[in-house]
Amino acid sequence: MIVVDELRKHFQVHRRPPGLAAAVRSLLRRRYETVKAVDGVSFQIERGERVGFLGPNGAGKTTTLKVLSGLLHPSSGKVTVNGHVPQRREPAFLRGITLVMGQKQQLMWDLPPAETFALNRAIFDVPRARFDATLRELDELLGIGPLATKPTRQLSLGERMKCELTAALLHQPATLFLDEPTIGLDVAMQLSMREFIRAYNQRHEATVLLTSHYMDDVVALCPRVIVIDGGRIIHDGDLKALVKATHPDKLVSFRPTAPVDGDDLARLGRVVRHDAARVVVEVPEDRLREVISHLLATLSVADLGVEDPPLEDVMRKLFKHGAAAPAPDGPAAP
Amino acid sequence: MPDRGVAAARVPYARLLAVQLRTSLLTAMQYRLNFVVEGLMSLYWLGWNLLPLLVLFDTRDSVAGWDYPSALVVIGWFVVLRGILEGAINPSLTDVVERLRTGSFDYVLLKPADAQFLVSTSRFVPWRIVDVCGGIGLIVWAFAMRGAAPAPGDVAAALGLLAAAIMVMYALWILIVCAAFWVVRLDNLAFLLSAVFDAARWPVHVFRGAWRIVFTFVIPLALMTTYPAMALLGTLDGATAAGAVGGALALLGLSRLAWRAALGNYTSASS
Repeated sequence: MIVVDELRKHFQVHRRPPGLAAAVRSLLRRRYETVKAVDGVSFQIERGERVGFLGPNGAGKTTTLKVLSGLLHPSSGKVTVNGHVPQRREPAFLRGITLVMGQKQQLMWDLPPAETFALNRAIFDVPRARFDATLRELDELLGIGPLATKPTRQLSLGERMKCELTAALLHQPATLFLDEPTIGLDVAMQLSMREFIRAYNQRHEATVLLTSHYMDDVVALCPRVIVIDGGRIIHDGDLKALVKATHPDKLVSFRPTAPVDGDDLARLGRVVRHDAARVVVEVPEDRLREVISHLLATLSVADLGVEDPPLEDVMRKLFKHGAAAPAPDGPAAP
Repeated sequence: MPDRGVAAARVPYARLLAVQLRTSLLTAMQYRLNFVVEGLMSLYWLGWNLLPLLVLFDTRDSVAGWDYPSALVVIGWFVVLRGILEGAINPSLTDVVERLRTGSFDYVLLKPADAQFLVSTSRFVPWRIVDVCGGIGLIVWAFAMRGAAPAPGDVAAALGLLAAAIMVMYALWILIVCAAFWVVRLDNLAFLLSAVFDAARWPVHVFRGAWRIVFTFVIPLALMTTYPAMALLGTLDGATAAGAVGGALALLGLSRLAWRAALGNYTSASS
């Protein structure tokens, strides 16, 4: 179980205007600014939950994950993960968690991943039989196969990510912090990563806290989302409720079988797309029934459908709101 | 996660060291040509190290009270120590500075083992064993010239002082690495340390006045090569030897404190 209570992490950063003169001045007198990367965040995550952590760049997601995994010491507030205070980095705590960072790697570059696995086995003191069994299980879920014996530098990004995940999970942690685990991967690989994370979560009743730029990852994996912006939580709860509250409009999409007049469409709602192949109109939910009846009665349409707006749009709208109306002492995102 | 109770707190450091050594050996063998080239380079440097000594003693029999074979013993220790520095200390700690810069140091802190141990043993350069063997060869040659073998007690004292010298070098390196937590780029500082270390090829008595004080107490080059050589030659008094070991332990303790302070200050490179 993860408990975060009024977590704050502030950094002192050196700022200077561009240019040589400013650089020379900053040698003599430095100006420091406090950046509130995380500014009073509270939440609880129960064992076995899959939670998506969303927010724009610099919102404080990664900083929070780093505090939760003991890499950064909080400026104030209380954090416990499985009953441990992360910053103490107690071995029992570190054996129970893992942090996977899509943009950093722990695999040794010149050697095959199997050597990193062996090193982690020694560090985590995993008995041989359990190590072999875990490796077999991860192989079955991820399909590493011969990749483990190829030098890391010869692996593709997707292959490397599979091996990174394996290295990070060999000690069978019960809590997974995943920071952009699918970044840079192609769609097929993203899908298999998602399936893997879900399967691991279900098999081990593992807690998963995931950040991703790919909203599809979050939609597919996380029934609950925590949205953070400017170091503060602006939503914590059901993903569907968030979509409904932020962006109550629906997208009505159809293939026209005859040309459609643009003015007619504009009367129905905001036209998102209008070409020969497809028309998409954004319609308030309370007018949905009326608009569809009108469409079917007046136009010649095929394969009509109603969809929720893409989560990207929801987020854009949410963060625009957050930026437009900041809290009284709202921090600038770092 | 299965609760492994008290056993969970124990980390098998000896096995971990063996795995790290094995990994370094495997890495070295990935590049076969490097193995040969580096081995040859080690031999070349061994010869190069002797050149100033040969030039110096070509025209005189003794320098600052050191005759040629005794000075050769100092050079021998210097070569041994440089082999250890470049084989077992420099590579790992240069890696840490790089890891701090790129942020992959995060993965070290996520491991349930002492972070200082993990980073200090992360990389070895096995072919530096050529330097160590070469240095020992020089010492044997020097004693052959003197026509007398060192007493067993003197060998033991010299080995004790070698351990102290390794501790001093390691501690100085750790202090530099700690500075990297704040300033990130440290190539010049590391370069300066190895340039200063080069002066350890000479007996400390060659230096006069302030330099001798600096090289004895500030950057203890005396402790690194002159004292072990003197111990082997049977000319070092017990009090100096004890002081040297005590000083080395104190510096090691200081470096540990600095490391812990640096970890608390770690800000991690952004993702």
